[in-house]
Amino acid sequence: MLRYVAKRLVMAFAIIYFVVSLSFFMIRLMPGSPMAALEGKLMQQGGMSPQEIRQRVEAVYGVTPNAPVWHQYVEYIRNAFHGNLGTSIANPGESVVHVIASAAPWTIFIVGTSLVISFILGIAIGALMAAFQNSAFSKVMTFVVSFLSAIPNYLVAIVLLYFLTDIYHYFPISGAYAVDVTPGFNAPFIASAIDHAILPITAFVITSFGAWALGMKGTAVSVLGAEYVRAAETRGLSPKRVAQSYVGRNSMLPQVTGLALSLGFLFGGSVFIEFYFSYPGLGYHLIEAINSRDYSVMMGCFLLITTAVIVANFLVDLLYPAIDPRIARPALRRQVAEPDEPVAVGGVQV
Amino acid sequence: MSFLRDFWRIARSDWTALIGAVVVLLYVVIAVIGPYITQASTAADPSRAYLTPSLSHPLGTDSFGQGVLSEIIVGTRPIMEVGVLAALITVFVGVVVGLVSGYLGGTADNVIMRITDVFLTIPGLPIVLIISSVVRSANPVVLALILSVAAWPGLARAVRSQALSLRTSDFIEAARLQGASLSNIVTRQLLPNVGPYVAIHFLLAITGAIYAEVGLFLLGIAPVSGTNWGAMINSAMNQGALYTTKSMLYLFSPMAAIVILQVAFVYFTRILDSLFNPRLRVQ
Repeated sequence: MLRYVAKRLVMAFAIIYFVVSLSFFMIRLMPGSPMAALEGKLMQQGGMSPQEIRQRVEAVYGVTPNAPVWHQYVEYIRNAFHGNLGTSIANPGESVVHVIASAAPWTIFIVGTSLVISFILGIAIGALMAAFQNSAFSKVMTFVVSFLSAIPNYLVAIVLLYFLTDIYHYFPISGAYAVDVTPGFNAPFIASAIDHAILPITAFVITSFGAWALGMKGTAVSVLGAEYVRAAETRGLSPKRVAQSYVGRNSMLPQVTGLALSLGFLFGGSVFIEFYFSYPGLGYHLIEAINSRDYSVMMGCFLLITTAVIVANFLVDLLYPAIDPRIARPALRRQVAEPDEPVAVGGVQV
Repeated sequence: MSFLRDFWRIARSDWTALIGAVVVLLYVVIAVIGPYITQASTAADPSRAYLTPSLSHPLGTDSFGQGVLSEIIVGTRPIMEVGVLAALITVFVGVVVGLVSGYLGGTADNVIMRITDVFLTIPGLPIVLIISSVVRSANPVVLALILSVAAWPGLARAVRSQALSLRTSDFIEAARLQGASLSNIVTRQLLPNVGPYVAIHFLLAITGAIYAEVGLFLLGIAPVSGTNWGAMINSAMNQGALYTTKSMLYLFSPMAAIVILQVAFVYFTRILDSLFNPRLRVQ
């Protein structure tokens, strides 16, 4: 178990390191790189000595412009791991860490809530579809669910926005909470935050619960036909026991694997959803930063989105051995076939 | 020939899948002949803005006075073109990496899979957004390359796990004993066995690419040359389409075009699914 955890941790750090390097590459080495562009812009504006320009660029990106590239790289990596990601270009003086620290909780709130709701809803519907395979319910649901999961989430966001906030004003149009409440642990603030989160979460859930339902149905149907289920039934175990311990638990395994894979997709999708609902999370700031060419904020948001996915993945990995003991004990693992990679139906991994 | 007969037999029994196949085919035809049957101009004629549907403009006109239907027809090609190109690149990279990694095994497999895992973990859409914001190219090939950056690792992993189990099979053993080269084993022995899975993934990769591509145009991040659905929705929203009911057709027509295509693709894959997995047919 310890080895298993250690391996996952090393992998997590390797990915974060890779993303930080990538962001250095983007800022510094790309042809017409943002850093060179900023230098050029300041030079053109005039009124600044080369010394001042260098200081300004250094403040924004956290690297010394005319040092050797490897030196800049080391400096950048060290700064990043110390939590210094430079300052915003669009709003000088505002540190990138400050921007992303205020945005992250909102993204994690709506993505986390949507994930829990669509996972539970999808698993329940999928289990029902498998239990009543040839019923009208199952047929109608299969149709509905594959239809919904094929629709891009941003289109659902636009439709909700159009009908529920612009034409009929049922929900607030932007922000994470109303201006007249004070953030903190008080009822008006919480109510306002929920009111603002309902539409973004709805857009997520509508487009993502279907994939869980289809996945759950698929595995549950194949588990229902397995010999150990028939053996359990023949032994006279109660239907409830068979459904929970034999069918339920084994059908859940691929879904939990899918949980880890879907996280990146969800966090990616939140870029669109936050943007359209003007919800001040990481995705919203990412788009704003891209549009204003604020590369340091852009890479900061990207780094934090990636880190959030890695942390969540790590939690799923820790959860997995509790559900499937074979994972943490490689000696047992060899005896079981490698689990099939889940194929996302409709909700394609992008 | 038996393949086509099976295809038809399955398609006939599953009418939703058949409709999906027909719709996909229709979109392909429109993408090919679209620019020859109608034109979309960018000229503005405010006196004809937001006309209600008529014979000459079956879906009404947009805020610039252009026919919405014409724009949708012309916009089909760029979307399909990039979607198919991106899916081809995705499938090529995914299959080659997966087969080579799974077949070689050992250290090579370990290294390749760790790299794949890194790409698999990084959230796909944000990286695509960032790369295209730096590159800013309207070239379809470049756009397709960017879109496939995040799409190949999932397929590579799936193909690898199939290659792993094929590796120990008798016919691979026989080929190896005969001294077949790596490229021969990968392309002639392994590839045909993962073909069905890859075919299904190819269609899903197109839907994934279209999702991300339209998204890029919607956000106005990918530079637009000519007309396409994403750019249409973007300009509809910039023209204030969200705040008036006049522009409903202008806003919702391109959205419908996308949804119908995406849903059709998913149903279409169902035919291939039961074609290649005889076990599914029995159920």
